[in-house]
Amino acid sequence: MKKPQMRPVFSRVLFATLCALALVQPVTAGAADDAAAPKELNLFAWSEYIPTSVIEGFEKESGIKVNYEEYGSNEEMLIKLVSGASKYDLIQPSEYTIEALIKENQLLPLDKSRLPNMKNLDGWYAKQAYDPGLKYSVPYMSGTVGIVVNKEKVKEPVTGYDEVFQEKYKGRIVVLDDAVEIVTWAMATQGKGPAEVSSETVAATRPVLERWLPMVKVYDSDSPKTALLNGDVDIGIVWSGEGAILVKEDSAKFQYILPKEGAHMFIDSFAIPKNAPNPAAALAFINYILQPAVSKEISKEFPYTNPNLEARKLLTEQEQGNEASYPKGSPKLEIFRDMGPTAVEIDELFTDVKAKSAS
Amino acid sequence: MDQPASKSEAADSSRRSPGLIGCLLLAPLLIWVVAFVVAPALIMLVYSFGEREVLGGVRLAFSLRSWSRVGDPIYLSILWKSVEYAGLTTLICVLVGYPVAFVVGRADERRRPMLLTLVMIPFWTSFLIRTYAWVTILKSRGLLNSVLMQLDWIGEPIEMMYTPFAVIIGLVYTFLPFMILPIYGSVEKLDPSLIEAALDLGAGPWRTFRRVILPLTMPGVSAGILLCFVPALGLYAVNDILGGGRVDMIGNVIENQFKGTARNWPFGAALGTALLAAFALAFWLTRRPDREARIGI
Repeated sequence: MKKPQMRPVFSRVLFATLCALALVQPVTAGAADDAAAPKELNLFAWSEYIPTSVIEGFEKESGIKVNYEEYGSNEEMLIKLVSGASKYDLIQPSEYTIEALIKENQLLPLDKSRLPNMKNLDGWYAKQAYDPGLKYSVPYMSGTVGIVVNKEKVKEPVTGYDEVFQEKYKGRIVVLDDAVEIVTWAMATQGKGPAEVSSETVAATRPVLERWLPMVKVYDSDSPKTALLNGDVDIGIVWSGEGAILVKEDSAKFQYILPKEGAHMFIDSFAIPKNAPNPAAALAFINYILQPAVSKEISKEFPYTNPNLEARKLLTEQEQGNEASYPKGSPKLEIFRDMGPTAVEIDELFTDVKAKSAS
Repeated sequence: MDQPASKSEAADSSRRSPGLIGCLLLAPLLIWVVAFVVAPALIMLVYSFGEREVLGGVRLAFSLRSWSRVGDPIYLSILWKSVEYAGLTTLICVLVGYPVAFVVGRADERRRPMLLTLVMIPFWTSFLIRTYAWVTILKSRGLLNSVLMQLDWIGEPIEMMYTPFAVIIGLVYTFLPFMILPIYGSVEKLDPSLIEAALDLGAGPWRTFRRVILPLTMPGVSAGILLCFVPALGLYAVNDILGGGRVDMIGNVIENQFKGTARNWPFGAALGTALLAAFALAFWLTRRPDREARIGI
């Protein structure tokens, strides 16, 4: 692309402005105690996931300005990260994306000496295969994908995926609009976990999908609770955070159930991209939100599973008892792994069956 | 842009090349077209021959893998479905929009600005908010169902949300102004004496409309069709919000290649390029026979 030639007058004005800015800059920098301290944090995180009050609290305490940019899927984040058009200091990928980013050498190893508050985290997270020892990522919130039923309409107990997709609930079902999710649910009913994703296991789910998809009324990953709240559907498979909000709203009406075949568990974490301009600001932010009092605020607004054990202690009994946030017993939970090129096959299979189910 | 505004002007202006001032005046438009239309289309074409990268993105190569998938019956059937939706939307827009445009165009000249403003008012709010507003109207315990039940016209709520009906309503609502405005432009220029002449010479109202009014306002109608059909084919947000994402439109499939787990940019680029080529072809075909008429727009 050709750039238009700058007119001399314009460039002179620009030059003068830059000079003026250069004069101002040292004065403000000198005012701070540490001249090298970063002044900005370019945060690239999920939409509606970090309370504004938490960001403002960090800005006030650290004097670092936060530029909060939002995304709606891991892949949307990768588009901007890979294109390199903007530089981010802190991103918030899920576990399978972290695994791929580590494999591709895109993340900065964390300087743990700057993150003393990591001691508050549940030790379980450091034992997971996507980032053993949490060398590159710090868990923010984790959650599950489970079944929500409207007990006023669904009278019989529902315990697994196959009991959701029954002829009697046809046209009353909402599911996440996510090919990988739905295909792995189908795999679970065939006794295969998400770690066993391959061309063969994916292709084998076709008959299950052909039975399931014609019964679905709504596909929605952004706000699946809406269709349930509006009464347009009575049963759904949704994120636990969405489920927890429904249960909180009306626990007599809504119930969250983890499917007996095994539920998908996701872990959204913070990580620092390799080319981050201000990694120090990113570390300061992570350490800030790991404080129990701050982390508790996040849990109040977004009731997922908080990996911060100290913060969990500060929650009310009712909040800790919400089974969508903190499941009881020892349910079968499974974590996604990076699926590599099989993701293309999953997408094609899902698109095909979905298109044929509609007509 | 490279086409003379009208025949009479073309006669004397086409001889001399545009002067320096002409070039300067044209420059912003040309830069805009090159930067935001030509360059992206070329990038898309190049990407469509590339190979998928692990994290999204494209490894440049010469591979026909993506193009060989474009013709797959799965995607052709989805494209056809999108054409059906966009076509039905455009048809309803013509049927509803034409009378409105006609009335506004023939209204008293002092009232026209007010009527036009009424057509434009929806643009003052974000498209997404307007679409979400339809959710509150159409949902099973929504505005429309409660009114109908209050009137005792129906006993049970009608299922309207998450149906093709809701998608068509949303699409028609979105694109209706784009149909009304160009037709209004043609109607306003319509010479009333031609209608009077037709009626004087014994043509009935229907014949006058079909033989005189419709041909003279056809440029506005075809511009409106283009403005409705083309964007309606690619718009997938309405489908997601009001249709529950049950029927994929071609826009959904392309979006998924970039923002979905497949992370298959080359295939998304190939689908996008194919769609662009189809538009260009359709535009070229519709444009040729009535070139004379179009100049009147």
